[in-house]
Amino acid sequence: MPKAKLAVSLFILSEANFFLLLIIAYVFYHSYPGAGPTAATALNPLRTGLFSILLFASSATMIMAAAGYRARAHRATLWWLLATVMLGALFLCGQALEYAGLYQRGIAVNRNLFATTFFTLTGFHGLHVFIGLVAIAIVAGLAATRRLVGSEREADAFEAVGIYWHFVDAVWVVIFSIVYLWAIL
Amino acid sequence: MSGLAVRVRAGEPSEAAAHRGLLAWVASVDHKQIGIMYMLSVLLFFALGGVEALLIRIQLAVPNNHLLDPDTFNQIFTMHGTTMIFLVVMPMLAGMSIYAIPLMIGARDVAFPRLNAMSFWLQLFGGILLYFSFFAGGAPNAGWFSYAPLSEPAYSFSNGLTYWVLALTCLGISSIAGAINMIVTIITLRVPGQTIRRLPLFVWMTLVNSFLILMALPVLNGALMLLLVDRLLNAHVFTPAFGGSALLWQHYFWGFGHPEVYIMILPAFGMISEVIPVFSGKPIYGYGFVAASTVAIAFLSFTVWAHHMFAVGMGHVYDLFFVFTSMAIAVPTGVKIFNWTVTLYHGRIRFTTSMMFALSFIVMFTIGGLTGVSFAVIPIDWQLTDTYYLVAHFHYVLFGGTALAIFAGLYYWFPKISGRMLDERIGRWHFWLTVSGLNLTFFLMHPLGMMGMPRRVYTYPDLPGWAILNMLSTIGAFVLLASVLVFLWNIYRSLTAGAIAGDNPWDAWTLEWATSSPPPPENFALVPPVNGRRPLWDLKYPDRADERVEAALEG
Amino acid sequence: MTGVPTLNPFSPEAASIAHLFVAILLVMFSIFALVATLVTVAIIRYRDREGAVEARQEFGNPRLEIIWTVLPALLLVAIFIFTVRTIHASDPPVSGRAPDLRVIGHQWWWEADYLKSGIVAANEIHIPVGTPILLEVESADVIHDFWVPELGRKIDAIPGHPNHIWISAEKPGTYLGTCAEFCGNQHAWMRIVVIAQRPADFAAWQRRQLSVPPVPTAGVAAQGAQLFRDQTCVNCHTISGTPANQRIGPDLTHLAGRGTIAAGAAADTPANLFKWLKDPNSIKPETHMPNFQLTDAQARALVAYMETLK
Repeated sequence: MPKAKLAVSLFILSEANFFLLLIIAYVFYHSYPGAGPTAATALNPLRTGLFSILLFASSATMIMAAAGYRARAHRATLWWLLATVMLGALFLCGQALEYAGLYQRGIAVNRNLFATTFFTLTGFHGLHVFIGLVAIAIVAGLAATRRLVGSEREADAFEAVGIYWHFVDAVWVVIFSIVYLWAIL
Repeated sequence: MSGLAVRVRAGEPSEAAAHRGLLAWVASVDHKQIGIMYMLSVLLFFALGGVEALLIRIQLAVPNNHLLDPDTFNQIFTMHGTTMIFLVVMPMLAGMSIYAIPLMIGARDVAFPRLNAMSFWLQLFGGILLYFSFFAGGAPNAGWFSYAPLSEPAYSFSNGLTYWVLALTCLGISSIAGAINMIVTIITLRVPGQTIRRLPLFVWMTLVNSFLILMALPVLNGALMLLLVDRLLNAHVFTPAFGGSALLWQHYFWGFGHPEVYIMILPAFGMISEVIPVFSGKPIYGYGFVAASTVAIAFLSFTVWAHHMFAVGMGHVYDLFFVFTSMAIAVPTGVKIFNWTVTLYHGRIRFTTSMMFALSFIVMFTIGGLTGVSFAVIPIDWQLTDTYYLVAHFHYVLFGGTALAIFAGLYYWFPKISGRMLDERIGRWHFWLTVSGLNLTFFLMHPLGMMGMPRRVYTYPDLPGWAILNMLSTIGAFVLLASVLVFLWNIYRSLTAGAIAGDNPWDAWTLEWATSSPPPPENFALVPPVNGRRPLWDLKYPDRADERVEAALEG
Repeated sequence: MTGVPTLNPFSPEAASIAHLFVAILLVMFSIFALVATLVTVAIIRYRDREGAVEARQEFGNPRLEIIWTVLPALLLVAIFIFTVRTIHASDPPVSGRAPDLRVIGHQWWWEADYLKSGIVAANEIHIPVGTPILLEVESADVIHDFWVPELGRKIDAIPGHPNHIWISAEKPGTYLGTCAEFCGNQHAWMRIVVIAQRPADFAAWQRRQLSVPPVPTAGVAAQGAQLFRDQTCVNCHTISGTPANQRIGPDLTHLAGRGTIAAGAAADTPANLFKWLKDPNSIKPETHMPNFQLTDAQARALVAYMETLK
């Protein structure tokens, strides 16, 4: 059995529990609203929705990169990897815009419980996106310098990075639904 | 494939062979060296946690004692609990698994040797970070479960709690990485022929345990991050005065904390399941039931957390759910006790020190298990939770259970690790001092709790009977100190002048005994064939190999 | 069993728990004896000695496994049923009734507000014998826990999460209790006394509590009263009939009638009060009561005033 894929699968099982906890905190305080901003009044679902589409698209480009890798089309792999990095980075820019907008209106992490749980949840997700981007960038770097050799171990590692990236996307599907869609529906 | 030896499956190539001296350890990615380093780090922190325990007992020896001021006492018991759980029991079990499991499955190393080294160094760093708090304004002082809002900056204003959060985060990440490594190792690196139904039970239980760590530690880490946001960024997730919830912390903490209890006992069960059969000269009774009950415990352990919270006033319906699950988890635990006991019957029991610790484990752990059931009986919990009866209960589980099992495992595997035997005569002194000290220290805490003494008090009024029981308990703690010193003396003597162990001094049958003691860097030259659960037994008695006997029994 | 309050109940609720506890202790002891006997017999019969038989290579017996899975499970079902019954006996439902008494945990003392009469007490709760009293238990800061073992279950005092329990006592007497949840430095000295009195005595106590002690007008006590107003005492404490009306520390209106000071840390004697006022840490280290660097004369005057607060 491929070791890296197994290890990453176990890791995301663990990470899923971590996010579950932060989501519970968010939902818990959503049910007991205090004074101050809420998801409905403070967030920009449309803009974040557009940036979310970029993140979801990055899962597709990652799949294309993996297909290219399996077909040993290293040039295509490189371009798809770069596209993934770019889409992920754009998503982080969207998150930065959201945060900046909130700060401008005086909504910082300690403003109220909505703000605390929102920033903690989305912040940790952003951190995971960032780590994923670093991992993909390393793979892209290897591809760019023609160091991908196509060994079994390398294929295992490549797929492991892909699994992690899809997990990060999947978590955002949940977070976006709970934080943004719940606020406007 | 009978008779044919099998080549070892390689992990990643070892790079440490090039280094010498201390660097050979610091730079090591060899599972045996890392396992030993885990155990050595445990020795350091066990000394610290032990001194803390003695300070607690000295302070409580007499009523109205003013030796330690309350805040110092609170720091000491917080550090005692945190140390013993996160820096002694968990890394000890991790170290023993990391050392033994690749050998028991016939592998040359763990699946990810470098990740293994990272786990160790992160663990050590976390421990040092925790203790650094003493030099940075004071150690954490809100107890090992740091209930909010007492753990919030408004009530615990030194930096100690922040160090506690950061240190536990490091330890949690280390444990999760270790668990992933262990699972991948056990799943992918077993020698051919060692199917999942032929795994030694210690490997089985470590596997299940690793899944528990994988699922439970992120719960702690998530809660810690929220507490950190509260402490450093002035948020109020757990402060009721600003709309937060003190109870949310308790649900989070015990969502981790109860699986954690099993994380600290399952590998101990595993060691007992190795030691008792070997020294009884027969296979474990009901292998399948022992393994399956472990899985049952693992699942149930995620459904019982709020039995730590019966006093918070959740409402009887919720209470009863957790009463039900808590009683249910007693059943698979009982199954194990009966299987270990019945394994003794029709055996030929060799009273090695290891076996004596294992036998005392059965009896002592039964006490801890039974008082545990009494806490599931909710009205009794309403009287006795947060008293010394509870302190007695979990020390019978963690000392009478885990610690005795670790001693059994250490006497069992020490010859493999060092190549030399521990002295059996000194071992007997160690054993009797441990068991008498343990009972003197902790048994008397049951009546103390029933007499109304709450836990975590730095002193107490001179009520009838309290002083004498506390004094006796303190004397017991010093007997335990003597037992530990005897054990250290035994190790020192063994390393300097112990008898040479040879490959298989106990006539045991799992794969680690098929290689030299200590094993070479690559673990095995050749691994014997595995056609059953006891490969070395099968090799020694080909006509009475387990497969044949089982087939004959069934036919 | 007088020294063991959990087995020495003085209320129907505590009695139901004690009965169940004795039964469970017997069950626990029987199971322990069974396991210990099985291990001991095996050790004696199957020890390795000269002429001992070879170990029998056996692998298990599913029928036995099922027996020792099902039998304990049945025993637990029985215990579960008794548990359910005792839950209701030991913690009767509140069903929306207004509480009689609000008990508020503070770091590190107890406030007791009698909601009907308006009496405010500290660390000592008086109840009429034989009458169930509904308590509302709250906290002003961290989590505490109200526990008087002879009278029944413990209950957490959690900020933002009021809890309710019944307490009653069948016999007049003094019942000791304590905070049972770790609450910081002086968790040890956060003790409670419940004093159950015959109805006439309780009525007398109520009358005394509702009376306003006269402010002394002459002598050392008058100086003390003046000091109490001029110093910062009034910033935290209440004394009825004076401008002091803060509720951060205990209400002192009837301090002289109490048995202890500082939530059980010392007997309520003039000598201890003097010591407490001079240096609170000498009686209760790290208490929130500050050291005001009073002179001996000032402290004596305050003690004299306190002694008038009957």
